[in-house]
Amino acid sequence: MKNKVRTLRIQKDLAQGQLAEAMGVSRQTINSIEKERYTPSLPLALALARFFGVTVEEMFDDQGS
Amino acid sequence: MTKDRSRAITRSKWFLPLFSVALGLVILTVSWLGGQLATGAISFGVLAVFGLLVLLAGRSETIRGLRGDGRDERFARIDLQATAVTGLVLLVALIVAWLVATARGQSGSPYDWLLAIGGLGYLLAVAWFRWRG
Repeated sequence: MKNKVRTLRIQKDLAQGQLAEAMGVSRQTINSIEKERYTPSLPLALALARFFGVTVEEMFDDQGS
Repeated sequence: MTKDRSRAITRSKWFLPLFSVALGLVILTVSWLGGQLATGAISFGVLAVFGLLVLLAGRSETIRGLRGDGRDERFARIDLQATAVTGLVLLVALIVAWLVATARGQSGSPYDWLLAIGGLGYLLAVAWFRWRG
């Protein structure tokens, strides 16, 4: 699913590993989300949105996938 | 045991190594009871070495996921998919074995029983997960 995780992460000057640690997942999972190979669960999507201070709809685009 | 507690155990780096050793001990005991101590000792040794290798292996995602300490929701999905594929492989192997045994004029046992258990297990799992919503 198309998303802005990479953009938001870079805006916050975070490495994938740092975001992964904050979310309690592996770095590879963050990488897979950014590369749109893996669609996160609703709890993880909510946690990511909360972390970046945006809505889930702002972060994920289900129309473009 | 709560769900969180059981998750903490399966996500420990010690989970798979200790499970391997425990399984090896069970096999060793059963083999000893069956008078095949040497076979049991070899099986225990293989499983113990496997557990040790997994414990001391590197930090690759696959190793950490298999070991337990690298499990997150994505690896849980990978694990589920791998388990489903394993189930399908076993099912096909059992069906082929049953067909071959039947074509040779044999009874088809124990493949028929294993297939029946597999089918029943699947139906019960569907009912259980449907009931849980």
